[in-house]
Amino acid sequence: MGEAIVITSGKGGVGKTTTTANLGTGLAHNKHKICLVDADIGLRNLDVVLGLENRIVYDLVDVVEGRCRLRQALIKDKRYDSLFLLPAAQTKEKDAVSPEQMAELMGTLKSEFDFIIVDCPAGIEQGFKNAISGADRAVIVTTPEVSAVRDADRIIGLLEAAEVYDPQLIINRLRPDMVRRGDMMDIQDIIDILAIPLVGVVPDDESIIVSSNRGEPVVLDQRSRPGQAYRNIVRRLEGLEVPFMDLEQKTVMHRLRTLFGIGGKR
Amino acid sequence: MGRGEHWTAGQPFCGARAWNEVLERFLRRGWTMTKEACVIKGNRHGLMLSVSEEASFAEILGQLREKLSAHRDFFQGAVVRLHSSAAFLSEDRVDDLAAVVHEYGMTLDRTMTLEDQRPQKQQRQKVPEFNLDDTKLIRRTIRSGQSIHYSGNVVVMGDVNAGSEIVCSGDILILGSLRGVAHAGAEGNAKAVVFAFRLEPTQLRIAHYISRAPDEKGPKPTGPELAQVVDNLIQIRPYGRFVKR
Ligand SMILES: Nc1ncnc2c1ncn2[C@@H]1O[C@H](COP(=O)(O)OP(=O)(O)O)[C@@H](O)[C@H]1O
Ligand SMILES: [Mg+2]
Repeated sequence: MGEAIVITSGKGGVGKTTTTANLGTGLAHNKHKICLVDADIGLRNLDVVLGLENRIVYDLVDVVEGRCRLRQALIKDKRYDSLFLLPAAQTKEKDAVSPEQMAELMGTLKSEFDFIIVDCPAGIEQGFKNAISGADRAVIVTTPEVSAVRDADRIIGLLEAAEVYDPQLIINRLRPDMVRRGDMMDIQDIIDILAIPLVGVVPDDESIIVSSNRGEPVVLDQRSRPGQAYRNIVRRLEGLEVPFMDLEQKTVMHRLRTLFGIGGKR
Repeated sequence: MGRGEHWTAGQPFCGARAWNEVLERFLRRGWTMTKEACVIKGNRHGLMLSVSEEASFAEILGQLREKLSAHRDFFQGAVVRLHSSAAFLSEDRVDDLAAVVHEYGMTLDRTMTLEDQRPQKQQRQKVPEFNLDDTKLIRRTIRSGQSIHYSGNVVVMGDVNAGSEIVCSGDILILGSLRGVAHAGAEGNAKAVVFAFRLEPTQLRIAHYISRAPDEKGPKPTGPELAQVVDNLIQIRPYGRFVKR
């Protein structure tokens, strides 16, 4: 029986889709059977980031409405045989799917895959409710901005209400130089507010944009720093304790280690 | 006790007239002689003898003798009421105290009282007493978008994050950081207070008083603080200072 992890944030553009693509690819690289689900109906782009756009025939709404079998809608990745994508419908409305239908779909997927990773749409409406239904746990993505952290906090509250407990945190697009100048929230500030365990910090890096455009997740690039960050997160999701990278924030990183020790309990 | 007037040995208090004057003056204000092993206080209910539970009984008797002999005339004929707990003072000890008091021409009222009988006016400046009846205890973080409404007091063991609100008719105690909006005494009780380990709210409301965080980021609070209405303004003060006084 697999585990369904929803990648969510509240605020848009903070890196949910990038995170989903990289974690999925990284886990598949480590020989897990993975299904990525694009729950951002009407605004799909996980397929683009993975370079699979041109293979889509059926989508999630087709499956739910019985127009095709699940197998027909799943797209196999170019690089890994154990990685599949269930794409979102581009031309349908968000409420084409109900939370109950979504939960049922998750149940089916969990019997076939080790991990199901759901890319959640921005916002807190129907699309969000669909994406989290059937999820066993959640990973919250935020950037070091007050507004993004505020939205993440809201999402954590809503997840609790929906009985998805113990979410973990990824801080994306951190710029150590700005933190050092005092122009960006530091990791500790964010953890103080959100009070959930940290599972990774991804630096802000141009290579992400380059790789997204090429449809080649950065996690596969051995020399890339954000790639290393994602590889570390993958291993933490597998249950290993991996020390945090030094993003040139020595004092903060030191504190992080202890924090992760506590957070790694799950 | 600190606010009471100290009656120093050199002052010319003597005779019944002076006694009346003094009582008169302290009808409105509590006062204290010293704050040692034993204290003799006067208020509108008369004289009160309170003994410190920290001191040894020998110390208490010694100090009592000292004080009474220093102001022998002043205390003549007065009745002094005992203020202590029965657990601390056995029957025998009360007998001993009564004997000393009697030596100096006074009588001891043996009904013990633990109530502080200072006039109400003074108490407002003191450590507020949290009335914990009718209290909702919340053991989690209150997050953005969540709101707690309660008729009574609210105690949160956790943080109250920005974007959330707590509204209640009584006091609000946050055993964590208060970053959201807190409205205490929401049904009009201006004596309600808001307490937090880290008080950095977006907005504070007590009854119909409203205050907001300064636009400029100020220094972060370094310890527990308490907000209450003083002179028609919501005032925030470090909580430790209340305790020390
Ligand atoms: N760590 C990063 N460094 C630089 N750019 C990033 C990073 N993470 C995401 N981006 C860019 O930010 C944009 C939004 O990312 P995306 O994953 O689509 O966010 P979301 O799915 O949350 O809306 C994309 O253009 C992406 O390439
Ligand atoms: Mg997205």
